[in-house]
Amino acid sequence: MSLVRKYGLSVLAILVSAVVFLIPFAFIIMMAFKDRTQAQLLDFSWPQGFHLWTNIVEVVTTRNWMLLTAFINSSILTVASVTLLVIFAAMVGFVLQRRKTRFNGLIEFFILAGLMIPPAVVPTIWLLQGIGLFGKLHGLILVEVAYGLPFSILLYRAFIATIPRELDEAAIIDGARPFDVFFRVILPLLWPVTVTNIVVQSVAIFNDFTNPLYYLPGNANATVQLTLYNFQSQFNTSYNLLFTNIALITIPPLVVFLFFNRQIVAGMTAGAVKG
Amino acid sequence: MSVMTQTGTAGAGAAAPVPVLKRPSPYPGWFFLPAAIIYGLLFLLPTVASLYFSLTRWTLFNSTFIGLDNFAQFLREPFLIKGLINTVIYAVVTSGLKVVLGLLLAVLLTSQIAARGYLRSVVFFPVLVSTVGVGITFTVLMHPTNGMINEGLAMLGIKGPGWLTNPSLALYSVALVDVWKGVGLATVIYIAGIVAIPKDYYEAARIDGATKLQNFFYVTLPLCRPATVTVIILSFIGGLRTFDLIWAMTRGGPGFASDTVASVIYKQYQAGFYGLSTAGNVVLFALIAVLVVPLTMLLNRREGHE
Amino acid sequence: MAGLELKSLHKSYGNVEVIKGVDLTVEHGEFVVFVGPSGCGKSTLLRMIAGLEDITGGELWIGEVLCNGVEPRDRGIAMVFQNYALYPHMTVYDNVGFGLKLAKTPKDVRDAKIREAARILQMEHLLERKPSQLSGGQRQRVAIGRAIVRKPEVFLFDEPLSNLDAALRVETRMEIAKLHHDLGATMIYVTHDQVEAMTLADKIVVLNGGVVQQVGAPIELYQRPANLFVAGFIGSPKMNFVSVTVEAVSAGRVAVAGKDMASIAIPARTDGLKPGDTVTLGIRPHDLSEESGGAIVGRVALVERLGNETIISMQLPSEASWLVVLDGDHNLSIGQNLALSFEPDRAVIFDADGTARHPDLD
Ligand SMILES: Nc1ncnc2c1ncn2[C@@H]1O[C@H](COP(=O)(O)OP(=O)(O)OP(=O)(O)O)[C@@H](O)[C@H]1O
Ligand SMILES: [Mg+2]
Repeated sequence: MSLVRKYGLSVLAILVSAVVFLIPFAFIIMMAFKDRTQAQLLDFSWPQGFHLWTNIVEVVTTRNWMLLTAFINSSILTVASVTLLVIFAAMVGFVLQRRKTRFNGLIEFFILAGLMIPPAVVPTIWLLQGIGLFGKLHGLILVEVAYGLPFSILLYRAFIATIPRELDEAAIIDGARPFDVFFRVILPLLWPVTVTNIVVQSVAIFNDFTNPLYYLPGNANATVQLTLYNFQSQFNTSYNLLFTNIALITIPPLVVFLFFNRQIVAGMTAGAVKG
Repeated sequence: MSVMTQTGTAGAGAAAPVPVLKRPSPYPGWFFLPAAIIYGLLFLLPTVASLYFSLTRWTLFNSTFIGLDNFAQFLREPFLIKGLINTVIYAVVTSGLKVVLGLLLAVLLTSQIAARGYLRSVVFFPVLVSTVGVGITFTVLMHPTNGMINEGLAMLGIKGPGWLTNPSLALYSVALVDVWKGVGLATVIYIAGIVAIPKDYYEAARIDGATKLQNFFYVTLPLCRPATVTVIILSFIGGLRTFDLIWAMTRGGPGFASDTVASVIYKQYQAGFYGLSTAGNVVLFALIAVLVVPLTMLLNRREGHE
Repeated sequence: MAGLELKSLHKSYGNVEVIKGVDLTVEHGEFVVFVGPSGCGKSTLLRMIAGLEDITGGELWIGEVLCNGVEPRDRGIAMVFQNYALYPHMTVYDNVGFGLKLAKTPKDVRDAKIREAARILQMEHLLERKPSQLSGGQRQRVAIGRAIVRKPEVFLFDEPLSNLDAALRVETRMEIAKLHHDLGATMIYVTHDQVEAMTLADKIVVLNGGVVQQVGAPIELYQRPANLFVAGFIGSPKMNFVSVTVEAVSAGRVAVAGKDMASIAIPARTDGLKPGDTVTLGIRPHDLSEESGGAIVGRVALVERLGNETIISMQLPSEASWLVVLDGDHNLSIGQNLALSFEPDRAVIFDADGTARHPDLD
């Protein structure tokens, strides 16, 4: 390949990627800087004046600090769900990989089913109401755990297969009870795949819109994704605020992306290829 | 001497206590328990229950058995059928585009191109961004008169269409945005597949005098088949289940032009037709089973022939 | 005092029986080595003793305790694994001390025991390292340290040296022998390696297909193998075999001859033998010597000259192929004929079913 062609292709790729992928984000950011009238035009123009701070203050304080509540809710939801997911999925992955019983086939079937079957929404609401968890944050936490388990279990099982069984046996001979074998020997070794699990699942749960929409109705319970939905009608004349909100809720994934890009890519591809 | 001598000391005199022969496994079954309870209660049970409730007229407090009426309605009401067809179109279009674009991007991003790291990041980042945020942003960008896309086209002298307002276009516009957001995942899966191809194949092909194009068709394409299978299955299932993007962009509109089964489920739920909504769930489940299971088998069987 | 007593031990995986009734007594302080071909069940038997595999049938006594249902931690055993099985996330210090920690040993006692073990194995300078920062030999040393710190009654080793290079293997082998001497504990050791078995063992157990073939002191197995299998398995190069016919039976001797061999009288147990019976004669390659007019004549097929000895592969008239090891250097050419003889009391006669007919010892 000649030099010209090589660099020609690179330049072309960079240009196209900028137009296709960067401009939408630039648009979001510029909208967040504009005042209401300018934002109304919906065009790709340079902001006149610096209105970002006033926009942020207004978005955050609207509706009785709803966005702040939402951020707190989403954080609790994400942290709690991911913590439970990591521990429970690792436990299942461990025993599933180590112990061959006639139930393994059935369990694997349920895992695949969980990856494919869309959740039955209304029956789940009915069930949550039955056990008093409908519209409650901890109810949604359990739902997110249930939906996330299959993927996390697959990730863990694949990784545990690479840990020699001799290690468990050494621990057993050393006097470790099953609980110790898992929590003191195996779990610490799972750290790389745990990081992957944490980042992949946090992004998924933080960005989740559908499940909070169904299972956690009500403004007091809103999660960040729902703030967009709730504000959309209210802000349809204030695009600057709508896009400020979008920019704000994009920050957490951006941070994850900057720090954990490698793990997240590894996790998504590994999980996908295995699944 | 080479014969064993019985010492006879061991256990002598003991009145033959019944020996405990079985010890508990070091891999205790109760490790499954927390996951099994949560998954069984919140996923499996509702799924099984949906099979019953889809056959009822249901208010959450009481249900009346009405047989297959809900399903009959699904196949009778034009807007429901429309949703069914749209769902399949959407899944086919998005997964098709993701396979093609993902593969091309992956080939590009594994070649000796400048700014590879930047390009990979830029393509992948949308995967991590809120779907609703993306949906709202593109709704604005696709605004028929003021939207940036049409203004850009106007500068080139093209009159842009009403992306989301034209009933025959809305579904495809949403699908395009889905591809924009999801192609990064397809790309990284393909990149992983391509990177795993041993260099020997390309060297052998080079010795055989293969051109770049031949390299692609005779080495890369067949050898990253597992990645293709993954991308197709993953994006096809994702496409069939898609809800949030459609809801954020068109709410199924204009009219019912871009409704999918998932948005129908939500609309019927909002309207209080719980039985019908649940029937929608079962239909979606059946659709996935009917389309994805044979697809998986087909893809995996061909793989076996290579 | 902890000897072991295995009574008719059985182990099956589903329908496949891999240990088919093993009876064995191990005295306290004995060094017992399990040898046998790959897949014969050595590891399985060891792991049954460790408690890592369930016992399908029979009884396992360690000391005075019936251990079938006893957890590994309560059996008073320690085990050293082939691949070391060190905990990668812990330092050497913590690796060695893990068992004590689980047993809730007080910190100062634990520390003293760990340092004591480190001193015995001369690895005090390694204590703060992670396993990944150790060489293979050092890792195996840590694994042994982890075993001795628990002061077990019985040590179990599963091919502990097979991942080490040749020089290190010899060195570590000697250390294990010294350890056995110093600690005086019972040790059970699985290996493929004959030299390890011969040098370390007080008692060797030869297994084949899940059945004990012979139990005895190393030299005894070499000199008086109980059957064809043991005769072929112990000793290197392998014992030569040839099919012969009994010509005459006299007090304590059998005269045999065959296609490959002129008549010769071998000391053997004679009961039940009669002229005309077909038996197998075995003779070790080292016990053959060159002698014109010897009982055996074959054609030289291959010669390996090592200087101190010469290894010859020989083709007998019956097409049987033998190995001969001659002392010193012999310049033989391929295809030439070679006549060999041996001391009659070095040969072993085996029945058709493979049982050896050693003459009775007085
Ligand atoms: N979990 C298992 N399920 C079924 N068969 C098994 C299992 N583990 C071992 N076996 C079989 O039991 C037999 C004995 O295995 P074992 O590991 O004890 O052999 P070994 O003598 O240690 O061999 P090596 O010298 O190769 O280590 C083998 O034939 C093996 O295939
Ligand atoms: Mg073994």
